[in-house]
Amino acid sequence: MGLGKALALKGLTLIIVLISVLLFTVLIIGASGLSDRILNSIMNEELRGIRQKLTTQIRDPEELNKAIERIRQDLVKAYGLDKPWYARIPNMILRIVTLDLGSAREVQTFTGSNKISDIIIERIPNTILLMTSALIINFILGLLIGPRVALKHGTRIDRATSLYSAISYALPTWWLGMLMILFFSFQLRIFPFGGMYSAPPHEDPFMRFLDLLWHVMLPLITLVLALSGSWIYITRSIVLSVAQEDFVNVARVKGIPEDLVRRRYIVRVAAPPILTNIVLGLAGSIAGAILTEIVFDWPGMGTLYYKAVMSVDESLILALTYIFTLIYVLARFILEILYVVLDPRVRL
Amino acid sequence: MSFIRESFSEFWASNISKIGILFLTVLVIVSIYTVVTLPLDFGVRYWYNPLYWVDYPKTAQPEWINIFLSEKLMSHAELSVSKASGIKTYNNRFIKYYNVSYNHEYNQFPKFITLRISNLLFHNRDSPPIVRFYVTRPDGKTVELYTLAIETPSNNVIPPFKYFSIEPKRILLSGDMYLARSLIGFLYREFNISLGISSILEIGNERIIFGYISGKNTFTPLTGRYVFSTVLVCSDVNDNIGMVNVVLGGYVYGLMGTDVLGRDLSQGLLFGFPVALIIGIGTSLLTTVIGAGLGIISGYIGGRIDDFIQRFADTINNIPLLPLLILLSFIFGGKLWLIILVLVFFNWPSLTIIVRSMVLSAKTSQFIEAAVAIGASRLRVMVKHIFPQVAPFVFAQMIFFTPYAILAEAALSFLGLGDVTMPTWGQILEYGFKNGAVFLGYWWWILPPGLFIVYSAITFVFIALGMEPVVNPRLRRWK
Repeated sequence: MGLGKALALKGLTLIIVLISVLLFTVLIIGASGLSDRILNSIMNEELRGIRQKLTTQIRDPEELNKAIERIRQDLVKAYGLDKPWYARIPNMILRIVTLDLGSAREVQTFTGSNKISDIIIERIPNTILLMTSALIINFILGLLIGPRVALKHGTRIDRATSLYSAISYALPTWWLGMLMILFFSFQLRIFPFGGMYSAPPHEDPFMRFLDLLWHVMLPLITLVLALSGSWIYITRSIVLSVAQEDFVNVARVKGIPEDLVRRRYIVRVAAPPILTNIVLGLAGSIAGAILTEIVFDWPGMGTLYYKAVMSVDESLILALTYIFTLIYVLARFILEILYVVLDPRVRL
Repeated sequence: MSFIRESFSEFWASNISKIGILFLTVLVIVSIYTVVTLPLDFGVRYWYNPLYWVDYPKTAQPEWINIFLSEKLMSHAELSVSKASGIKTYNNRFIKYYNVSYNHEYNQFPKFITLRISNLLFHNRDSPPIVRFYVTRPDGKTVELYTLAIETPSNNVIPPFKYFSIEPKRILLSGDMYLARSLIGFLYREFNISLGISSILEIGNERIIFGYISGKNTFTPLTGRYVFSTVLVCSDVNDNIGMVNVVLGGYVYGLMGTDVLGRDLSQGLLFGFPVALIIGIGTSLLTTVIGAGLGIISGYIGGRIDDFIQRFADTINNIPLLPLLILLSFIFGGKLWLIILVLVFFNWPSLTIIVRSMVLSAKTSQFIEAAVAIGASRLRVMVKHIFPQVAPFVFAQMIFFTPYAILAEAALSFLGLGDVTMPTWGQILEYGFKNGAVFLGYWWWILPPGLFIVYSAITFVFIALGMEPVVNPRLRRWK
């Protein structure tokens, strides 16, 4: 009962977050006239389809125009374009949630569809592949190195780690990516300039996989180099503050083996706050992923974002904002579950 | 006051704080220098005005690269002359010479050659002057470059007539048909070679002027002293030319090189310093004031206000910033103040939440109870007694937040959503990336802006690290 209730509460908060982001977005695009433009373009697209169908049935151009004008007025009413923007809020939210936002202006899927929902569904796995692998590596590095360094507080290794964290915090991931390309792809020519597969892709699935590994290497190294520093630093600081607690000293004085003290008395206690900080760092790694994808032309949602901005594609930008928020909220929810599992106090 | 002095000596004890303060001093000095030397509308007036950069070499490397090269690359050269070096009379006409010499010592041809003439002054309406341009090469041969006939002024203008005073007359000699025709004669006369106009344009005018023939249709750079002379043929002794410029496009330019439009990167990079400082400090100051203020109110007053602030903060704190920042800048256009406001709006909550919890524990201490007991107002308690308790932490957070704001603006600029009225490091990188600088190896366009971003961000990270033992006294024991 306790566990379920705690999780339900967290879930509720995150759903409220999602709804308020949606409301906020819709208010902004409504007040700025953006929603009119989006709906108009969806409607015109539909109208074009109808016109094509009708030209085969109605020969007289005047009559055709009249018929289309009638249909257009119907559509205006159906889309609610005759009403002010605030009357359309529920409808617009529904459209965003179901990704029913018409077609993208310039971007297409590999199969040639330019429906926004198709494009996004095709891109999501690529982003998740890159982001989660980077996240997992950073997580492991943080947990492996952070506590070790914390227990050697003040030594040279500790100071070197702090310096590395400081640099990695100040380092824009995307710029590091550019340097990596400049050095490894342009100068040494050992890694590809970008993309996910060579063109044309290999037929053999195993070769395809190797090709993917070769392409993912540089963006992955970039993400790890740029983000691992802050992860290590966070774990280090938290473990450090736990290690100075009195109960740790008591345990040592009691003669409990150092190894056991570390595992049971320090790391176990430090785990929940570490997780909280990782949750907070998630937003940062999403941002890092967007920009890293752009630099490496990784066919995920970050690159899609860039192309949407470049081609001034309002609907696509709106859809991506929603999807990124959704991914973020879902990832947080998963981590919250982990948190509840790790920290028994939450369940009380 | 001894508390502050003690904190400062604690802060100053570590080397990392000293480096941080040193870096910050440099940052501030460079920013002040930039604001004093460059005009405030530098972005609109120069940086985003391609016409201003037309005579600069495109994608030229920095000049100091020559130190590392065995074969030196040609420096960009702009020669100018404003005084006539000689005057002759001939058939009632005056002939003035404006000579300027250039020593070519590189094994390359200039990328392009441009002549520029400004402030031409003449007095006789009926016979406007004629300007002829020549170059005498190291081998003694002379090439006629261009003849500029000045049109007769209209009747309603009163003498003296001043031409090219607002906008100088620009003559691009590379690819010029008139010069190509004159070069046919030059090659035939001096080297006894006959080439058609199309092959001359294919080889390039600047290669023939700056080279000697070394094979079939191939030219090799001719080193030595070139004298460019401008000849003014006029009918009044007071007619003159204000200034003649000869621009020889080079392969290296200035301290930082140029971009694909020929913009001098050192100027754009310099302008990035004050902009980064304003973004960083402005955002963190506002965020801290709002975040700490609301945190203190929320913690001390409690009740419904506390609930409301905490729910609100919790919601905003859960929103991923970058996607919304992209959306907002896209809709409202990238304006600097807007970017700052959005960053503030999405970042105050985390501080509020922490400060509140600190205030909750400080609230129960006896000296607060004492202050309340002797009738101190709520405001007084919050300002005089609660705030000093959280001040060191809040100050450290403010410094730690500064690099975040600098990096966020750079990221937004890199997405093409920056403020286009001023150059920033992020925008320089964006333009470089869009023009394939990474794939073409234009390292001088990619490295410095990023290094400056890292430099300005790490300055504040170092200071924040140095403050850690001040804020968290438990760390002091270990020293």
